[in-house]
Amino acid sequence: MSPIIEIKNVTKEFKVLNRHEGLKGSIRDLFSRDYNIVTAVDNISMTVEQGEIVGYLGPNGAGKSTTIKMMTGVLQPTSGEILVSGNIPYKNRAKNAQEIGVVFGQRSQLWWALPLIESFRLLKDIYQISDKDYDDMMALYSSLVDIEPLLHKPVRQMSLGQRTLSDILAAFLHNPKIVFLDEPTIGLDVSMKAKIRTLIHALNKEKNTTVILTTHDMGDVDALCRRIVIIDKGKMLYDNDIEHLKGFFGSYRTLKLRIDGTPEENAEVIRKEVGEFSVSCDNEWISILVDEDKAKIMDVLASLQTKHEIRDIKLEEISTEEVIKKIYEEGVC
Amino acid sequence: MTKRKGLGFYLRIYGKILTQDIKSKMSYRADFIISTIGMIFTNLAGFISFWILFRNFPSINGWGYYEMLFLYGFSLIALTPVQCLFDNNWSLRMYVYSGDFIKYCFRPINLFFYYQSEIFDIKGLGQLAFGIGTLVYSWAKLELDVTFLAIVKTIVFLFTASLVMIALQNAAAATCFWIQNSFFVLDLVLKFKDYAKYPITIFSPVFKFIFTFIIPIAFIAYYPSLVILRPDEIPILSWISPLIGMLFFFLSYKFWMFGATRYSGTGS
Repeated sequence: MSPIIEIKNVTKEFKVLNRHEGLKGSIRDLFSRDYNIVTAVDNISMTVEQGEIVGYLGPNGAGKSTTIKMMTGVLQPTSGEILVSGNIPYKNRAKNAQEIGVVFGQRSQLWWALPLIESFRLLKDIYQISDKDYDDMMALYSSLVDIEPLLHKPVRQMSLGQRTLSDILAAFLHNPKIVFLDEPTIGLDVSMKAKIRTLIHALNKEKNTTVILTTHDMGDVDALCRRIVIIDKGKMLYDNDIEHLKGFFGSYRTLKLRIDGTPEENAEVIRKEVGEFSVSCDNEWISILVDEDKAKIMDVLASLQTKHEIRDIKLEEISTEEVIKKIYEEGVC
Repeated sequence: MTKRKGLGFYLRIYGKILTQDIKSKMSYRADFIISTIGMIFTNLAGFISFWILFRNFPSINGWGYYEMLFLYGFSLIALTPVQCLFDNNWSLRMYVYSGDFIKYCFRPINLFFYYQSEIFDIKGLGQLAFGIGTLVYSWAKLELDVTFLAIVKTIVFLFTASLVMIALQNAAAATCFWIQNSFFVLDLVLKFKDYAKYPITIFSPVFKFIFTFIIPIAFIAYYPSLVILRPDEIPILSWISPLIGMLFFFLSYKFWMFGATRYSGTGS
């Protein structure tokens, strides 16, 4: 079977006006032809098979949204080829839209004033879903989540969690081949995050829907994705199984300390003491990135404790951003 | 598989969306009552100022009271569709500015249709009632014939005249795809709308030219009304006014869609 998404050497450039400062500058801008070319996506290629859940990661401004906008047909690539379910998205936006579902950021696509059930009925007509398919889907939904209390509630009265849940259900309603989820769990509490992950997982299993998931939450990635793709500054850095990556970053954790005195001076001292690990500080905390293959975090802490008056400690798992930063700086092993 | 999406499909969807929208608007009762009262007073005020004007001047440039009333009623009706069905144009710049416009791009239906269908401004219906009342009243007072042909003509010319204002507003709203603060463009077009109810002959030649060929508000009431009001001396511009309406609407639609495809959304 041919892949459901094929991206070949895709580049997207934006023309950005060079803005000048001040009122005088603004007037100059009015007539200026001084453009900068910004490459948001730089020569990316990948293929996705039907039924995969792909975690699409990268720091803010990496080009994730731009890639998704190109796959959904909102943006036209500057060069390269995209095929989504056999369609060229930007050439046939409406036809492509029939095959995909999108939950984009924090922006609800449901009718704000309508109860969810009315939104669903409108979507049923818009996507021309047959009565049987619609009923089957609704039955599946009620077996997966407690949908009844949501159905008769206007979207504007919903909590963020309920709204996100509703948006995800709406995106899957016409049984699309691919669903794009852009940061679906952002701003949600732990139990809602878990609920949403379970739902996405179940729908993917049940309908064999391909899911492209962008997120900053490693919890989402761990719960859902076997494969991840990382981009930064428009360039693809990584495209492989998550297991492979885990071995690479799993042993790093950040130890954060608050110590009497000025953080800068303390950081300087600690940097000498811990030697091989990188130390940074902000105006309160001193961060030590510990590679646990080389030293146990408890040992590091114990040795520091004898020399400094530690007021408070925090332990952080390495964040996606840090992984990406590491990958960017050091490459993938 | 996907059926072809023809006029029937869109009409059905439109009907359903409108019903839902009106239902949800009615549920905010205080909101609904206040805006209805506001609409009645707006129309009354317009009407009273018109009446005061004519108590002092029995005719303007050869146009009598009832003829002017006819124009007034005609323009009120012709301006109803833009008020009722295309009111979402006013929010377009906000959607574009905030990046929320992107949510309209993910549905397998016409973007322009989907965007405009979202809002139905119920206030326009009062204006329609006022307009019809005024038109019928002046029609009777002018002792114009009530023939089948006259009624068909009136309806056709009203319909196409309404397209002119819709086109102007579409085009004005679509400027937001290029410029940040497009509100003043929309506002300007709205202001011009007020001149639609006067016979174009009262303006200086410069404005006559502008209102006919550049910002064609003379096609909202004046030119189409002549077909009914002065059947003996209908200028060619009156006869082609339905074509003008359709042409302008088509062009504004293309312009709007062109802007929308140019739109890339803000990052998220």
